[in-house]
Amino acid sequence: MPVPTLNLRSMNSTAGIEEVATYLPSESASLEELRERGLLNGSVDTLRSFGFDRVHLAGEESNADMAIRAAQKLLSEADVEPDQIGLILYATALSSSATMSDVGESRAIGGAVLRLNDVADLFKYPASLVQSELDLPKASVMGVNQVGCASIFAALRMARAMIASESELDSVLCVSADKFPIGQPRDLVYNVVSDGASAALVRRDASRNRIVECAQVTKGALWDGGSLENEIVAAYFPTAKSLIERTLAKAGLTIDDIALVIPHNVSARSWEILGKLIGCPRDRIFMDNIRCAGHTIASDNLLNLERATDEARIEKGDKLLLFTFGYGLNWACMILEH
Amino acid sequence: MRRTIFMTGATGTVGSELLRRLMTRDDTTINILVRRAGYDRRPQIEYGLRGIDARATLNVLEGDLCSGASLGLCDDTLTSLARVTTHVIHCGGSTSFVRPLDESRAVNVDGTRGVLEFARRCDQLESAAFFSTVYVSGMRSGAFSESDQGDAGHGFVNPYEQSKAEMEDVVRETMRDLPILLFRLSSVIGDSRTGSVRGFNTVHHAIRLLYQGLAPMVPGCPTAPVDMVSSDYVADAALHLIERQSRCGVFHLASGAEASTTIGEILTSTIDSLIRFRPSWRKRSIEKPMIVDLETYELFVRSVEEAGNQVLRDATRSIRTFAYQLAHPKLFATQRTTDALAGSGIAPKPVLEFYPRVVRHCLETNWGMQPC
Repeated sequence: MPVPTLNLRSMNSTAGIEEVATYLPSESASLEELRERGLLNGSVDTLRSFGFDRVHLAGEESNADMAIRAAQKLLSEADVEPDQIGLILYATALSSSATMSDVGESRAIGGAVLRLNDVADLFKYPASLVQSELDLPKASVMGVNQVGCASIFAALRMARAMIASESELDSVLCVSADKFPIGQPRDLVYNVVSDGASAALVRRDASRNRIVECAQVTKGALWDGGSLENEIVAAYFPTAKSLIERTLAKAGLTIDDIALVIPHNVSARSWEILGKLIGCPRDRIFMDNIRCAGHTIASDNLLNLERATDEARIEKGDKLLLFTFGYGLNWACMILEH
Repeated sequence: MRRTIFMTGATGTVGSELLRRLMTRDDTTINILVRRAGYDRRPQIEYGLRGIDARATLNVLEGDLCSGASLGLCDDTLTSLARVTTHVIHCGGSTSFVRPLDESRAVNVDGTRGVLEFARRCDQLESAAFFSTVYVSGMRSGAFSESDQGDAGHGFVNPYEQSKAEMEDVVRETMRDLPILLFRLSSVIGDSRTGSVRGFNTVHHAIRLLYQGLAPMVPGCPTAPVDMVSSDYVADAALHLIERQSRCGVFHLASGAEASTTIGEILTSTIDSLIRFRPSWRKRSIEKPMIVDLETYELFVRSVEEAGNQVLRDATRSIRTFAYQLAHPKLFATQRTTDALAGSGIAPKPVLEFYPRVVRHCLETNWGMQPC
């Protein structure tokens, strides 16, 4: 008698991103205003030619505040009961975002990111606060970090894998929020950073955005983003092209099968180049948010997916390719079937 | 009969190889013209001659190619040299791709005029050899034969190519009157047996940028030919032709259709060699540079320029000085050279056969910064 085998691929194929919600702080600033406030090192003209115009600034809001707002919005819009959510995956790019404390004006001491008044501060986790504030008593929590701006991709990938492997887990809330350190220049490796948060509901048998394939590449040799900027910029394009092509091949697709690329917001120029490299015309890359929202660290792709959906840029059954890049150094790609 | 050779560029990549061979000849006097540097150039020259059985007489003359017909020498010296010189070998010149055109012209065109003037004064002249580049073909594509001339209106990738094309015009005008051999060299990358490099050029710099992970893309097509030659082949072939070829002519010292490689193969060989000779390099997970169309490459170059990142900008600029050649693929025909070398046993080795040794030499000497 044949031994039954677990077909992970077919189980994975049922999980998808059922709902997306994002949050951007109300305060925003133009490139000129950032310049005037000492929050920009580079040339306004150059950054504008790379596609940027405004970014959002969190002000008094903490990263956890933003995360809660994005998640609240999602729960109010999604067809899901709080009790159905079995797991919260809290994804962060900045080390400071993984705690409740605000970096504020403090400086690093002895390798620590924050100036601590109390060691107990290190154990204040925003994931738990989200669970409490949203009243999700059946959701356990986990943190996903150390993959930079690719953290939400890592969370979505984990959510899909856990749904596939845990029969009682049907709904996972992935949340991401990052607040850039106050007073720091917001242009970073040719892009302008915005504060923001996003949330995604990953469900078994999702009615849309089935996760067809996802993949990630990590190049640990380039872990030191500060001193290896040149190497990182040079590595970006070849690795991005290679990962996208590999992910498409794993899914049995070509770039021509992709209705819309849902990008990160690390400069429109970089997408012009990457689009040529992967053979994707510019009108199939959704770059509308780059000018008005900037690079929201880990929330770009969900922000863009949400807007593209709201504006009916995608139709049922469309294949979408999401791609992002994060310090660490990480490249991540995901294919969805809308 | 005693030969007296007047030579320029004897400290350069090709000149130094030629000098090592010429110094082993009996009954030979070699007068080399070196740029006046304000210090004694002899130790450098002697260092380049170590390990050979020197039989020829060597005289070092300090002068300047940019001084017109005098070559920076006094008239008495020039007159006595002209009286005895049987061979002129002009390897001197500027090989910088980034030097402005007027400066490149001053050395490569006007300097050649000065050498030609000198050659006209040599009553016993048997041959005068001038060294050019196959890249006088500029941005034209397709086959480029030894009888073809210049860029055919397609333009040049850098001022060096243009100055050499103009140099050829000057030399060609004199071919009716003097026994001139014009050698067009491909990219000379090192010794085929040892991989040792006497003059590091843009090819080696490109290998270094790839090693450092600063070369994300090059323009072109993976199957486009890449022509490179070894310094020993160039020296052996040129010397054979100088000593035996009696007729004027243009000769391509290039790998040609038989021995050349392709962009795709050379990039793969570079990566393989770096991993083989520096295993720890693999840890850096550097991707093979992408071969992209010219439009994409130019967009990337423009973005790097606008972003103002100094290191990446310098890296991109240095690749750009020759990378555009890759986007204009061409095959250098070598029929006349092959015929003239027939029976000599001298032929270009397949590039991929010795290229890894050159990469190893680059690694072992840290691109010439430390002794092997």
